[in-house]
Amino acid sequence: MKGLRRLIFLALLVAIGLVLSIIEAMMPLPFIAPGAKLGLSNIVILITLVVFSYRDALVTGILKSILFTLATGSVTSLFYSLSGSIFSLMVMYLIYEHFSNVFSLIGVSIFGAMAHNFAQVLVASLMLGNIKIFSYLPVLQLTSIFTGYFVGLTSNYAVKHMQKSIDKIYH
Amino acid sequence: MTKGDKILIFVVIIVNVFILVVINQSLFSYEEKYISIQVNGEEIKTILFSDDLIGKTIPIKTEYGYNLIEIGDGKVRVVEADCPDKLDVKQGYISKVGEVIVCLPNRLVIEIKGVSEETEIDGISR
Repeated sequence: MKGLRRLIFLALLVAIGLVLSIIEAMMPLPFIAPGAKLGLSNIVILITLVVFSYRDALVTGILKSILFTLATGSVTSLFYSLSGSIFSLMVMYLIYEHFSNVFSLIGVSIFGAMAHNFAQVLVASLMLGNIKIFSYLPVLQLTSIFTGYFVGLTSNYAVKHMQKSIDKIYH
Repeated sequence: MTKGDKILIFVVIIVNVFILVVINQSLFSYEEKYISIQVNGEEIKTILFSDDLIGKTIPIKTEYGYNLIEIGDGKVRVVEADCPDKLDVKQGYISKVGEVIVCLPNRLVIEIKGVSEETEIDGISR
């Protein structure tokens, strides 16, 4: 029974992440820099990482990317999305596991956002065969401070309440 | 928000602003740049910067008016104009790629353009 509940919870998280991604894609960009995103779905992945585990977060991230591609129909964005979310999750996991006494979730999510940007720019420069795209990275990293900050803040609040309800389910 | 977060944010801002400044100075300083003189929307003259052109002046006389352009070391300015407000003269030198001097009454645009290999669209991602 516990396994089933866990599965349902994860499925809900994937669905929330997908919806957040779609809403984000519909929103006009609030930043000057083109390509900068709020990274709302990162909230879900960060929550999954904290509340569940690294493996579950990885599955959630990958599923979310694939479903998002199916929903929007832009196949090239799958590579950007996948590379970004996998690399950012790896970095977030490392920071969360080993440096959580130094950084709160805000720091973890800023690291994740920066890793996300780095992976996407790397993939973009490989796909387009143009290394000059990297010159765009600092602009993205600067915006990732703000987006990462708010993602971390949101996750902080969400995790507090989710932890409670999940403890209730399991015990 | 812990102390580590604040330090992280601070460090990231400093590092990225620094990189941004360095990149702007190195990567986008085109090796070859030229002056493009446009009158009424048409490019009538292009001049490549070179050492023996430093200090030279070029008169531009068209049906809309008269301007005198002076070329410096990688920079260009308008020294004389017969337009009433002389905003183009007051603007002084321009030197960076993308900068423009506009003289509206004389329908004159002086633009610095960079010679780069990729003038077409590099790529489209969607």
